[in-house]
Amino acid sequence: MSEISQNAVSGGIPAWQGRAVARALAVAITAALVAMPFAAGGSWTYLLGVCFANSIGVLSVSVLVRYGGEVSIGHVFFVAAGAYAVAILEHRLGVSILVSAPVAVILGVALGIAFAWPSRSISGIYLAVSTMALALALPELINNASSWTGGYEGLYVSLDLIPGAPKGLQRYYLPLVALLAVAYALGCLRQSRQGIALLLARSHPVAAEAFGITRGWARLSVMGISCGIAALSGAMLAYASSTVSPSGLTLWASIFLLVGSVVSLYGLTFLHAIVGGAFVTLIPQFLASAGAWIPVLYGVALLGVILAGNLGPKLRDAVGRRRSRP
Amino acid sequence: MSAVWSAALDLFPLLWSGMITGCLYALGALGLVMIFKCSRVVNFSHGNVAGFTAFLIYGFSSGTLLELNWGSAVVLAIVAAVAIAALSYALISSLVFESDLTATIATLGIGLVIQGATLLIFGADIVSLDLPVPRFSASILGLRITGYDLTVLAVATATIGGLFLLIDYTKLGIAFRAASENAFAAEVCGLNLRFVHLFAWVIAAVLGVVGAILIVPTTFLSATTVASFMLQAFAAAVVGGFASLPGSAVGGILIGILMNLFTFYVSPEFSSTFLLGVILLALNVFPNGILARARGTRV
Repeated sequence: MSEISQNAVSGGIPAWQGRAVARALAVAITAALVAMPFAAGGSWTYLLGVCFANSIGVLSVSVLVRYGGEVSIGHVFFVAAGAYAVAILEHRLGVSILVSAPVAVILGVALGIAFAWPSRSISGIYLAVSTMALALALPELINNASSWTGGYEGLYVSLDLIPGAPKGLQRYYLPLVALLAVAYALGCLRQSRQGIALLLARSHPVAAEAFGITRGWARLSVMGISCGIAALSGAMLAYASSTVSPSGLTLWASIFLLVGSVVSLYGLTFLHAIVGGAFVTLIPQFLASAGAWIPVLYGVALLGVILAGNLGPKLRDAVGRRRSRP
Repeated sequence: MSAVWSAALDLFPLLWSGMITGCLYALGALGLVMIFKCSRVVNFSHGNVAGFTAFLIYGFSSGTLLELNWGSAVVLAIVAAVAIAALSYALISSLVFESDLTATIATLGIGLVIQGATLLIFGADIVSLDLPVPRFSASILGLRITGYDLTVLAVATATIGGLFLLIDYTKLGIAFRAASENAFAAEVCGLNLRFVHLFAWVIAAVLGVVGAILIVPTTFLSATTVASFMLQAFAAAVVGGFASLPGSAVGGILIGILMNLFTFYVSPEFSSTFLLGVILLALNVFPNGILARARGTRV
């Protein structure tokens, strides 16, 4: 059944062929991105580095939707946790991102599980509401812990991964490598026992429970994975942009991450992530003069993609029925 | 003894003003719960739409858009709010029956569009919007009661009372309760669920306008003022169990009082963090709301 509907989606192309095309495209785009810094200027390298970090953030939101069936509008909190972990570890202990990024991921996983704990047994919509509170509480927490976080001004992240190598290149390639690694890990998760168990817990909770996978466990694991990825995104964001400050860490940023996730169709592959991350990063950059049109544009894009996803199959069914009529 | 007396003198005005603002949170929460109860959609655009209508009242009465008296401006704004609600529901109605999660995400999109529209039409400036209430203030037991307080109390009581009468005794209300209780059975009985949902959206929009009109005089009006009150409304709805109308009314007043006590005795800088704590605590201690035991008696 799923094979048939997939054929219908890609207009009669067999599914494996579609997958091969997507893979070839991913390889081509990866190669282009690897070669990019040698062709383009420094501002592009900087912008794309930030874009890769945001792509990881988009993936973290998509994981939550795909595996958990839940939506978060407070993921910026976990992004901030990762970013500040990198900056504070550098300032206090003088360690580079090589050490602080894994710490950030562990911190993100722990925070995500701790946060999901109170709502582990109740319907998913509450997560959206409590994450909204989380995003709104974040600026208060950052500004009031200014001896650690640097308050409004934020902190610089200046230590390099490889001392001596060109700064711009490092801040481009590390986020790219992290993004590829996350996309690869998510691909592995989809094939693994654990990944399938999580999907089962979402689609058939009763059957999953019969196998010993409780909904609470599944919810906590998904939140842990998602928030770990979000923290990695924050770590990369701090590294790619060399600064951490509360100005970009608002509820709006969280909602924009969700918009990126929707626009990338909640996809968990490298290509989907790049599309979502580019949408989140590049549009405000190019339309900086448009100001208030940006939220309108994001809102329209969000609604457009959702409605197209909903109405598209219906229209196709209607057309198909008319065609198959004798 | 005198310490107790002075503490009580502090406490009394705090409780009173907490209750007044609590009524406003309750109005916001009721709008969220109306929509959630019958369609399982959390309407994240609620605050943005209410803020937009507050700006419309300003625009219609100040000469920015039109030059009307306050009453006609309010009527026009309510008409606009109802139109926006109907349009929003028309946009997402096909999603509601497929996935409440997708429909909830779509309301974020509507909120973004409305927020952008507010900024585009009225800019990011701060304006002031007053409520034409009689200048009045009396002092009872060390309590200063102003005309504004009494207006809020009267309007909120009348609105919430009217809403409960509407839901308990009219055909529309019965349809709403039926659709909330068991949507499938209600549809089998011939109810048009879309119509019931539309009713909930329209009522919620009107509640939002009333709440926005009453909130704005306490501060000023900017593109984010009303939307920033939404966290309190969400907290009130969560405390009430999110699917209970009386629960959210009680939750609103409770949040108003707790917030007041917290900002006075602990710190005014951590109010969102405090609300986050309240939400998490409420989810853990009474996931079905503070009135869960009394469920089934009403609505």
